[in-house]
Amino acid sequence: MLIQTTRLKKDVETSEGILHILQPTDLQITAGETVAIVGASGSGKSTLLSLLAGLDLASAGNVSIDNVNLGDLDEEQRAKVRADKIGFIFQSFLLIPSLTALENVMLPAELAGNKDAEKQAGELLTKVGLGDRLTHYPNQLSGGEQQRVAIARAFVGTPKILFADEPTGNLDAATGHKVEDLLFQMNEESGTTLVMVTHDSELAERCQRVLRMEAGRLTEVERDVA
Amino acid sequence: MWHKISWRLLKHELRRGELTIMAAAIVLSVTAVLSLALFTDRLQAGLTERSAEFLAADRVLSSRREVSEDWISRAQDEGLQTAQRVVFNSMAFAGEQLALVDVKAVSDGYPLRGELRVADQPYAQDRLAQGLPAAGEAWVAAALFQELQLEVGDTIEIGDSDFRVTRVLTYEPDVGFSVFTDSPNVLINYSELAATGLIQPGSRVRFNVLYAGDAAALDAYEEWLRPQLNDDTHNWRSVEDGDSPLARSLRRAERFMLLASLLGVVLAATAVAVAAQRYCQRNYDVVAIFKTMGAQRSQIQKIFILHLLLLTTFSIGVGVVLGWLIQSQVVDLVAKYFDVNLPAGSGRGYLLAIGTGLVSAVMFTLYPLLRLVGIPPLRVLNRQLTGTDRLRWLHWVASGGTIYLLLWLYSQQWLLSTALFVGGALAAVLLLLVGRLFIRASRQAGMQAGSAWRLAMAGLQRRAQANSVQMLSFSTAIMLLLLVLALRHELLADWQRQLPDDAPNYFLVNVAQGDVEQLQQRFAERNVDADDMYPIVPGRMTAVNGVPVVDEVSKEERESDAKVQSEQREGFGRELSLTWRDTLPPNNEVVAGEWWGDNAEPQVSIESEVAERMRVGVGDELEFNIGGEVFTVPITSVREVNWGSLQPNFFMIFNTSTLEDFPATYISSFNLPEERKKELYELFKPFPQVSLIDLDAIMDQLREVIEQVSVAILFVLILVIVAGILVLLAQVQASLEEREKELVILRTLGAPAKLLSRAVTYEFVILGAISGLIATLAMELSLYILQTQVFELGATFHWRFWLVGPLAGAVIVGLMGRLACARLIRRNTAQLIRRLA
Repeated sequence: MLIQTTRLKKDVETSEGILHILQPTDLQITAGETVAIVGASGSGKSTLLSLLAGLDLASAGNVSIDNVNLGDLDEEQRAKVRADKIGFIFQSFLLIPSLTALENVMLPAELAGNKDAEKQAGELLTKVGLGDRLTHYPNQLSGGEQQRVAIARAFVGTPKILFADEPTGNLDAATGHKVEDLLFQMNEESGTTLVMVTHDSELAERCQRVLRMEAGRLTEVERDVA
Repeated sequence: MWHKISWRLLKHELRRGELTIMAAAIVLSVTAVLSLALFTDRLQAGLTERSAEFLAADRVLSSRREVSEDWISRAQDEGLQTAQRVVFNSMAFAGEQLALVDVKAVSDGYPLRGELRVADQPYAQDRLAQGLPAAGEAWVAAALFQELQLEVGDTIEIGDSDFRVTRVLTYEPDVGFSVFTDSPNVLINYSELAATGLIQPGSRVRFNVLYAGDAAALDAYEEWLRPQLNDDTHNWRSVEDGDSPLARSLRRAERFMLLASLLGVVLAATAVAVAAQRYCQRNYDVVAIFKTMGAQRSQIQKIFILHLLLLTTFSIGVGVVLGWLIQSQVVDLVAKYFDVNLPAGSGRGYLLAIGTGLVSAVMFTLYPLLRLVGIPPLRVLNRQLTGTDRLRWLHWVASGGTIYLLLWLYSQQWLLSTALFVGGALAAVLLLLVGRLFIRASRQAGMQAGSAWRLAMAGLQRRAQANSVQMLSFSTAIMLLLLVLALRHELLADWQRQLPDDAPNYFLVNVAQGDVEQLQQRFAERNVDADDMYPIVPGRMTAVNGVPVVDEVSKEERESDAKVQSEQREGFGRELSLTWRDTLPPNNEVVAGEWWGDNAEPQVSIESEVAERMRVGVGDELEFNIGGEVFTVPITSVREVNWGSLQPNFFMIFNTSTLEDFPATYISSFNLPEERKKELYELFKPFPQVSLIDLDAIMDQLREVIEQVSVAILFVLILVIVAGILVLLAQVQASLEEREKELVILRTLGAPAKLLSRAVTYEFVILGAISGLIATLAMELSLYILQTQVFELGATFHWRFWLVGPLAGAVIVGLMGRLACARLIRRNTAQLIRRLA
């Protein structure tokens, strides 16, 4: 099991009392699976994603990645897990504005100490169709192009898991579809496990499994396999 | 790897102008400190060199007894130049005539500083003297030619020696400002002194040793010599000592430069602090992304520390080059306009400047950087997360400590630094409180205003906490600007008062009572601007409250009769110039007792410093001896005298009825422009016994020094203004970023650009106006303290600044806000949203 949670729970203290953002959740995702988490805004999808990726700490329960319990790790060790095994794609792209497309893609590989970072990044950018935009800054690229840079960046360290948070949420329908295609194509080629948060049911349909989040409760959506 | 990332970030951010404010702040602080330090260093060296001329040396040891040869040879061993000068009163005889003269015997090398000028005939064109009078020769002041009816080549007799008069003395650098009471000078060679037979044990002689050389050697010598000096016998003087107008001007100028420079340094450091905070804030997202990508804390630390160090090094480099260029330009300008070459500065300026840049960059970024490194990776999903605030106290400690350290580094005076720091901290707390109060009050006012105003007021109120901090830095910047401006004005005005264009440039002494009316008439006919005539009656003060004073007692005598000494006061040891008057002279102020007005009872008014030294005050009885007639008068008032004014000043002034029956001569001063100098001979032909003292040379020197100082002050002012504007700019930029989100939302909702731009402008106008008002209040208070405690000036109220402060604050801050906002509003909404995304 690549990702496994047991009774994973997240509460937040507010002035009006404790808010249960994520009810105790058990979830198993095997290597190579593509999983969509759907649900309304504020239902707790992103919270689950942040816990699975070790960006945040759970109030109770466990998350383990590759049989390593993230709850046993400190911030630095969790960062190491992310560097070695995880790639990210965000709705707002989150590129570093002062670095070029190429440098943005190189960044995770460099942080992981990869000496081939530049070559790999160049190849990936060519693959996503931006071979001629290597030296452009994010603000010189369109939204779709920025997200393609983000996809290239997500794959540069050949991660085992890819977390995507509303990857097409900021894009128009046509551009969104192109980015989707690219994402799934690259995912298939590299055999990466994809965990995607989205409220786009069409996009969710392209994943092997769909999980629904409602008021902090996660349920598996039964689908007809045609 | 990390250093590559760091370098890349810096390169791109520099190119894209994202680090402009941070770099500019460091560049400015380095530039300001370097140019200030170098320039003031050079100026001070130049001024000291100039003013050393008034002593004819860098330092003077004055002694009642001959100075030990060992002391002099020690100075020579340390590489110092020395010369000897012996001054005493004596009678000079020429044929049937006799006169009291000041004899000055000087050794080779005199004057060590400044120049000696002579002429071949009285009132003829003078020139630089070559060497000193040869054996058997004397150079004599022009006044003595009249008094003794001398011609060049005649012989005068002083003590046992005869001297042939070979030159007219026209200018001695060390003649000083006490010209009216002194007798004309006779300059002879030191080697001739013994032969006159006038130097006997107990005779009234001042032995002076003059020293000149580099500052370090002088200081070392002084340190060696000081412990061996005896306060009763010796007096050690440098230019800064004393109460001459020059010394006072210099002291004030020095204090002003130091203070203004300190304020400039604080402003520049504040700009770095504001910019550093902003620099870190804009990197919050970058750090969150780094962490999400799996960057270790230590990697991020290294990346940003290196980034910052590179930025700092780059900025310091630019600052050093700029600072050097600016000060050399100013020095060139000074050289061009005032014909003065300033000596080279020391390396201290470079150390200070680089130190300031490093210290402020490192210390002010310490806390923002800690916070930056602590940004949680979860920020990628939740932009509200800004990490922990637990160490905020560290920020205050680091920033406060840094400012204190900079103050101390720059001034090397812990008392001044502490006073400024504590005063500043108190003022900051006050400003914060007052600022909040104002914002609250402005909300009430804003309720009835138009919609842009309403938006502005609502904005002000919503950001009350952030705004009061911003207002603190606006107010501080504006206050420091106003302060330097007002202080400069006060100083220049004071010097101008002291040296108006029609200040007297000649002194007249020895006018006979019978000639007074005729002379005044001639002045009036020829349109010469002359002061009052002051009668002079020479007399001795002989006793206080019936106890005789001791005149000129050697130390041995005093020790042998300690009992007498404890009760007796030391007198002046010479005749005083006594005068009478009905009205209080200008530049005199009664500080105790009352001026007599019409009261005809015998009484005297005494100068305050003399009163203090003699331990007397209102009600004490003084006994005087005038030409054998002894009488007693009570002190009825104590006067403070401005010795800096170029007018006759007196220790003792009597009321008219007490002195008017004694025979008197008169003195006065007048102004005669350079081009009318030729008229002097005609003017005074009928009065051969009148002596004339030319003050032009001294006054020119004084004016020149003041002009140089004024330029320096202007230069400091400009630097402080630039520093102030940078702080304002950094603060406006930072605060605009906070408003960005709100603007984007309003814009997206369809608010017209005009409304937003106005609302932002109004908000900044209000902030600026309030800051300006608070700044004026703070400035007025600080100025009161500075004027009365530091600059020995009278306190004044600056009503103009109450208008200028708020107005300038509103205009400058409003304008900057508008400009910064305009850039934001020019973008289209989609771009704006993407910026925020």
